[in-house]
Amino acid sequence: MTTATVEAGAAGHGAEPRGKRTEDGQATYLVAIAEALWEEMERDDRVYLLGEDIGVYGGAFKVTEGFLDRFGPDRVIDTPIAEETIVGMAVGSAMEGFRPVAEFQYADFMSSGFDEITTVLARYHYRSGVPLPVVLRGPSGGGVRASSFHSINPEPWFAHAGGIKVICPAFPADAKGLLKSAIRDDNPVMFLEHKWIYRRIKEPVPDDPDALEPISVARVRREGRDVSVITYGAMVHKALEAAEELERAGISAEVVDLRTVYPLDEETVLRSIEKTSRALVVSESYRFVGIGAEVAATIAEKAFEHLDAPVARLSPPNLPVPFSPTLEDAFLPQVADIRTAIERLSAW
Amino acid sequence: MDGFDPVDRYERMVEMRTFEELVGEGVADGSIHGEMHLAIGQEATAAGLEPLVREGDAVVSTHRPHLHALIARVDPVRMLGEIFERSDGLCGGKGGHMHLFDPSVDFMCTGIVGASAPIALGYALQRKRARPGAVAWAFLGDGAVNHGTFAEALNLAALWSLPVVFVVEDNGYAISVPTTQATAGAIHRRGEPFGIPGWAVDGVDARAVYEAGRAATDRVRSGDGPALVVATAYRFRGHYEGDIDHYRPRRQHEETMRERDPIARARASLIAGGVGADELMRREEEARTRVRGWVDRARAMPWPDPADALTGVFAEAEA
Repeated sequence: MTTATVEAGAAGHGAEPRGKRTEDGQATYLVAIAEALWEEMERDDRVYLLGEDIGVYGGAFKVTEGFLDRFGPDRVIDTPIAEETIVGMAVGSAMEGFRPVAEFQYADFMSSGFDEITTVLARYHYRSGVPLPVVLRGPSGGGVRASSFHSINPEPWFAHAGGIKVICPAFPADAKGLLKSAIRDDNPVMFLEHKWIYRRIKEPVPDDPDALEPISVARVRREGRDVSVITYGAMVHKALEAAEELERAGISAEVVDLRTVYPLDEETVLRSIEKTSRALVVSESYRFVGIGAEVAATIAEKAFEHLDAPVARLSPPNLPVPFSPTLEDAFLPQVADIRTAIERLSAW
Repeated sequence: MDGFDPVDRYERMVEMRTFEELVGEGVADGSIHGEMHLAIGQEATAAGLEPLVREGDAVVSTHRPHLHALIARVDPVRMLGEIFERSDGLCGGKGGHMHLFDPSVDFMCTGIVGASAPIALGYALQRKRARPGAVAWAFLGDGAVNHGTFAEALNLAALWSLPVVFVVEDNGYAISVPTTQATAGAIHRRGEPFGIPGWAVDGVDARAVYEAGRAATDRVRSGDGPALVVATAYRFRGHYEGDIDHYRPRRQHEETMRERDPIARARASLIAGGVGADELMRREEEARTRVRGWVDRARAMPWPDPADALTGVFAEAEA
């Protein structure tokens, strides 16, 4: 893993996303997502893409660059700016055997399609028994100075919908394998990419088109003895950085990457707490009724006898993501905040 | 069934009304909980369109869905089972009356006003590509035409020339607000800027509905793009069973019901045309008996197992 910046998409080594890997074969998170979409569309012609500016333009972040030429306008559909209709149409076509993948230009715009997502998409299978293989994907998250209409972490809304799986990957290989699993899953999946990670993180990713990552399985990213940091998305990278720094100070932090926030892999979380007896939950979603609150409650409820300290949380307060860098940095948990919280826990 | 047989349509309307009345009785006697939206007064719209609904079509309905489900050929007993909260209902008792799904005939509904049209586009997209001649029917109420989704759906259906028949049933009121107070312009002209032809029709006259529906579906089935039919009728019941309905003055309400009763009107027309009263009474009795039989079978279905409340949120993994 490295944080070197790689230009994806615009680098344009060819139409195929795999052609956009670095010379030594690594893929950015963004290229990994493009590869997953490309390979699944090649594998299964029921898969199609719809969304705003995904055709000629190649998507706001250029995830679908080259797709229109390869797969044609019947499978790469530019839609009007009409999010409820995008979701509704995806639902209707999924009932007829298609496997739609709808791109939202920003996760913030998912709220424009909220009704179809929460009352139709999420609640359909429970009543009808009919599988609804719909993937909604889009860039979420802050830290990129995009202000409050382009920085949201909407995962709690949809984790709360009661019938949608919610995936928030942190690494390119996970993003690729999990998106492929999402497309092959017979259920609605909200695939929340993190735009801060898009071009920052690269790593080798599998070439095997059938290499999948399982949904609802967390992963211990870093082994540790003293404190467990439970997190997901961009905060995984900040937690890893904090853990590296603390290693030198003699504190051993374990970092658990949830990868899927709903349904939650409680087992991996609880196993980590049994080992370290201290839990810090870090989320980029809001503190109040956020994903971190749920994880913290689960630990308190199910691992109380293993705890040597109260469960600690780090999450932004429930307020609009501010714009100016000094304000946004004060709002989001930073590496130093995570380090301080781990130190405080380890001193218990 | 293609073509319009007025006696047959009359019998079907009696069947529809009996269906709604017996469901209403189920609400009144405490057998059915929750909100119940009945379509009494709107039978001619469904009955007029029914001969035009073909196998392979999809029907997306609203919170007032029973008659649409009947014309989509949903099994009435399993539908009643769902309405009466039973395990052998369409959704195993997990849905209820405005959550009816029958994938075997591509019927579904949604209780959210305005949500049906976008879903119909998805059904239509598949039909345009793989089932030429088949259409998706999008039913909406007058309240839904002022929701943004209606404009979104009209635009895309026209742009992509999708086989969608939009049917707006204007029953006079969006809950308590009269159409005239909520809706500017003529609803059937809402498609004009998109190039979608519209038909305004008396929704109390089954034959008129059939004729307009036939013109609309001829266009849509031949691949010329969507069409819009607006049928105006009068909602006899409150918005839901139990609605105090104080927004409609009693005398005016009763007069309007007399004037706008599709069944009384069809009966008078048939008698005037020489159909014997005995024949009609026989048909009425047959229809009522049939529906009573459906309801009896539904009421005899078992209750859901409480453990089932926790199952079925997600589909199991593919084998």
